[in-house]
Amino acid sequence: MSEVPMTRYKSLKHMPSTRLLGTGTPMCAGCGGLGALHEIYDILGEKTVFVNAAGCMTLMSVYPFTPFRGSWLYTAMASAPAGAQGIRDALDILIEKKRISKAEDLQVVVLTGDGSAYGMGLSATSGTMERDLDYLYICYDNEGYGNTGQQFSAATPHAAKTSTSMGPRGFSGFKKDLFAIWAAHKPAYVATVIGSEPVDLARKIEKAMQMKGPRMIIALSPCPTGWDYDPKETVEIGKLAVKTGVWPLKEYINGEIIHTKIPRQRQPVEEYLKLQGRFKHLFEPQRNETLISKLQNKIDTYWENIES
Amino acid sequence: MYRIRFHGRGGQGMKTASRILGTALFLEGYEIQDAPRYGAERRGAPIFAYVRADKKTINERGIITRPDLIIVADDSLIPVPAAGVLAGIVEHTVLLINSDESEQTWQHRLNIRNKIITLPVETEDRAELRFIGATCTGAASRLLGIISLASLEQAIKDELAELGPQIIDKNIHKAKQAYEKVAPNENCVSQGSEITAGKYLPPDWIDLPFEAAHISAPNVWASATSMKVNTGVWRTLRPIIDYERCNKCWWVCSTFCPDSAITVDESGQPHIDYDHCKGCMICVAQCPPHAIETISEQEAAAQDKLKEEETTS
Amino acid sequence: MTRQLLTGNGAAAWGARLAATDYIPAFPITPQTEIIEALANWIDYGEMDTRMVTMESEHSMITAAGAAAATGVRVFSATSSQGLLYAMEMLYTVAGWRAPFVLTNVSRGLAAPITLESDHNDIVAARDSGFLQLHCSTCQEVLDNTLIAFRLAEDKRVRLPVIVNLDGFYLSFTREPVELPEASAAKEYVGEYDPENIQFRASAPVSQAVAVLGGSPYSYFRYETHLAVQNGLTVFNEVADEFAEKFGRQYKTVEAYRMEDAELAFVMMGSFSTKAMEAVDKLRDSGWAIGLCRPRMLRPFPIKQFQEMLSHIKGIAVIDQNISMGMGGVLHTELMAAMYGQPDAPVISSFIGGLGGRDITMEEFFEMANTARNAVEQGQAPSPRLLYSENELREMRKLQSIAKVERDELGQSSGENSGGNTHE
Ligand SMILES: Cc1ncc(C[n+]2csc(CCOP(=O)(O)OP(=O)(O)O)c2C)c(N)n1
Ligand code: SF4
Ligand code: SF4
Ligand code: SF4
Repeated sequence: MSEVPMTRYKSLKHMPSTRLLGTGTPMCAGCGGLGALHEIYDILGEKTVFVNAAGCMTLMSVYPFTPFRGSWLYTAMASAPAGAQGIRDALDILIEKKRISKAEDLQVVVLTGDGSAYGMGLSATSGTMERDLDYLYICYDNEGYGNTGQQFSAATPHAAKTSTSMGPRGFSGFKKDLFAIWAAHKPAYVATVIGSEPVDLARKIEKAMQMKGPRMIIALSPCPTGWDYDPKETVEIGKLAVKTGVWPLKEYINGEIIHTKIPRQRQPVEEYLKLQGRFKHLFEPQRNETLISKLQNKIDTYWENIES
Repeated sequence: MYRIRFHGRGGQGMKTASRILGTALFLEGYEIQDAPRYGAERRGAPIFAYVRADKKTINERGIITRPDLIIVADDSLIPVPAAGVLAGIVEHTVLLINSDESEQTWQHRLNIRNKIITLPVETEDRAELRFIGATCTGAASRLLGIISLASLEQAIKDELAELGPQIIDKNIHKAKQAYEKVAPNENCVSQGSEITAGKYLPPDWIDLPFEAAHISAPNVWASATSMKVNTGVWRTLRPIIDYERCNKCWWVCSTFCPDSAITVDESGQPHIDYDHCKGCMICVAQCPPHAIETISEQEAAAQDKLKEEETTS
Repeated sequence: MTRQLLTGNGAAAWGARLAATDYIPAFPITPQTEIIEALANWIDYGEMDTRMVTMESEHSMITAAGAAAATGVRVFSATSSQGLLYAMEMLYTVAGWRAPFVLTNVSRGLAAPITLESDHNDIVAARDSGFLQLHCSTCQEVLDNTLIAFRLAEDKRVRLPVIVNLDGFYLSFTREPVELPEASAAKEYVGEYDPENIQFRASAPVSQAVAVLGGSPYSYFRYETHLAVQNGLTVFNEVADEFAEKFGRQYKTVEAYRMEDAELAFVMMGSFSTKAMEAVDKLRDSGWAIGLCRPRMLRPFPIKQFQEMLSHIKGIAVIDQNISMGMGGVLHTELMAAMYGQPDAPVISSFIGGLGGRDITMEEFFEMANTARNAVEQGQAPSPRLLYSENELREMRKLQSIAKVERDELGQSSGENSGGNTHE
């Protein structure tokens, strides 16, 4: 799978115009995770079984309501990838033993938040990559334990205010580099996406679907509730995450990391921070220059390495 | 015992409102119980909160089944069955509704004869909606007739301490305004009678029959049943597509609508599904030619009514 | 049918093999390892058409087992002690999925302090999960009950996972003659797994194990699972009778040994109950009217069977190889509940023994019988007793002194622990 496959998704006009994911979910208005999921689902199609870990998305399916046109299994916070293992193996066995036809096969897709992906579920995920499980993993990364009220997680960015980092400097830790951790397993594919860049997202999902083995996707998911901003800004904030270089769009494929979108004229990170209540303390009551430039420097360092 | 229930949407501050009322009653020397209750839904979804107040220790717990006072922050919730606004309503129950419509209209519409006090909604500005809680508690305090202005003010200060003096003052101002406004109805809420063990309606218990797993597993054997959930009621703002200005771009609005609430027909024209649009306004922000406008639900509802009347007359 | 020497672990592996298992998620833990080693070996040499996958934890293992069963294949797995506890969240979860499969648990004491040897605290901790439990006392039972367990799990009236429990070391590593059913006969007995509508197929979308909000629907789902577990009693009898017809070995939810005309009874489960049988024989030789009542099923709890079997019994010695901290033996508590309010209910004496694999000697069985008899005479049960001798405490003191435990304190506390009043 060395040559880059042809894509159906060249520009916005090639994006699907029908929606697979049903309306009426209990996700917050303006949920960036939901936005990314519906874009992904439109590409994946309904021959899909989502295996979910505890998080906001668990409440997508509340008896007797489900937004899915395909299938779904809720597992637990730590072991959604293990659930995917069970289903994938079982489907393979059923097909091998000719108990079901190939047409009954499903794509197995793990769907978890960052809390699960970066933390509690990491060992189960690592296991699936070790075993070269043929599945897709989608982590919607809202940078905190959203479902329990946005406490900080291993994906929370430095300085962000969360319900467990309310102090004047916000979260003292740093966002873990899950992309690198996943890529270190040498799976078939790792990519970052964001709902506000639907063409890039569609191409990556399309590409992932053509591969076998573990295909791992992290979708940065602006979260109006946890990040504290007006829900109408979800897409704008997503775009700024890319334009400021906060969220590099990239993929790992055949041992190489390729940036799929390099922001040429990177906007200052504060454009991104300013819109979000969780970073308000960097600007009010007075500007915290030290912290802002610390954040800016981190981003600059990252991109210097890429651009050079 | 006083039993008071608040109904609103996530984000409208009903939890805070119930706490302010709880604290005010506590300051007046009552024993108190206050608690919020919400389901899976988040911001914008129906929630309720309740307050109990009594001169003696309160042993009752959980949801209030026979409320003395029902406070409704958002009148669009009343017709929503899932919101349960009218659940357990009894003869003496008083309703306090944030609504531009009159007591008579509501009595007629709901077909009830309960006392209804309405507080006109003053604003469409989302930022202003934050003060609905204060307005509600201010009015409720007067209707109960057992809370002094001083206690009300103190309760607001206690409960909103984190928000800083400016916001506190604004809330106090709103609460006082409402307190004055409902003065003619002072003390109209009375405590309900208690049910007795001597006379009660026994529960209709049954022996749950065994049902095999193909029926009784917690599974949904169908597609997209969530569409039966009317999340349109979450909306406080309504996006409206101006088809004159819509240039049928490549359905940017539909791609970005997180809730799949914008469908695109074959001609490339987008349509908003108002039964499900949650009013996040992402489409408004993202439409390239700015062809989607925002109006408040109140205004939209009034327009709808006008249209309805036009067509029926 | 051939008779051959098999360990308990070997018997469990044979059970999984003869049941034509499709899928085995695994994770090693002493003393269960031989089971998965044997299976892996058979699979590698093409003797079993089964897929086995070693997961990275028991939590994942049970998740994969449940997910595969919910997709529609026959699943087997095995664990022990810490592993069972590590999987605890998923035990409850997959039972709620109504995912039928068979899990062997090789009982081993729990940390801390960590130990390798057997007792039942692991398995009683899983008591309320929705898994049915079958407890074995011989290697033959391990094999037979594994086959029966698949029938039980997959029956429409149950459709839940089943644990087959065997004691570490005393069964797991102990060889006994075991009669191996013919593969074809076993296959015919177990039959095919029909997942009905609980499966994942492209043509039939389903959202499984969805969230439930509100106590009322939640109560429905939980209680239906309880009713399905309870159905296990009837279904077990049916499938066990069928097993007996086919293979000539009869199993009951509660096994009776020399209970006819008995006035006293031991009640215990697991492999040490064969020692109790031995004690019964010896006591009977000395003129005692005593028997053994051994629950095979701990869940569903066979209340009626107990009540019937113990209706004419005057005194009981319950021996628990487990301890519920702050309460005592679990079997004792449950038996008390079952017998409460029964006409002429027996006097029930409680003993905790065999923790962490500690032996229970023949003399101790005799003494427990004696205690139970005295209790009947006095019309009152003594305080629960831990089977622990003065000599053991003396030995313990030696260990403690090496461990540099404060001597003063040892002096003060010694003797205070020997509560109880029937040691004569
Ligand atoms: C074992 C376990 N511990 C804790 C929880 C409580 N819990 C439910 S959802 C959640 C947060 C999950 O965070 P994340 O994976 O980031 O998803 P999000 O909620 O942000 O969607 C937690 C901690 C749980 N369900 N299971
Ligand atoms: S908390 Fe955030 S991630 Fe969770 S549903 Fe709400 S917006 Fe989405
Ligand atoms: S406001 Fe627009 S983007 Fe938001 S839910 Fe409604 S239609 Fe969708
Ligand atoms: S985004 Fe605007 S212009 Fe494009 S289809 Fe939607 S309403 Fe029309």
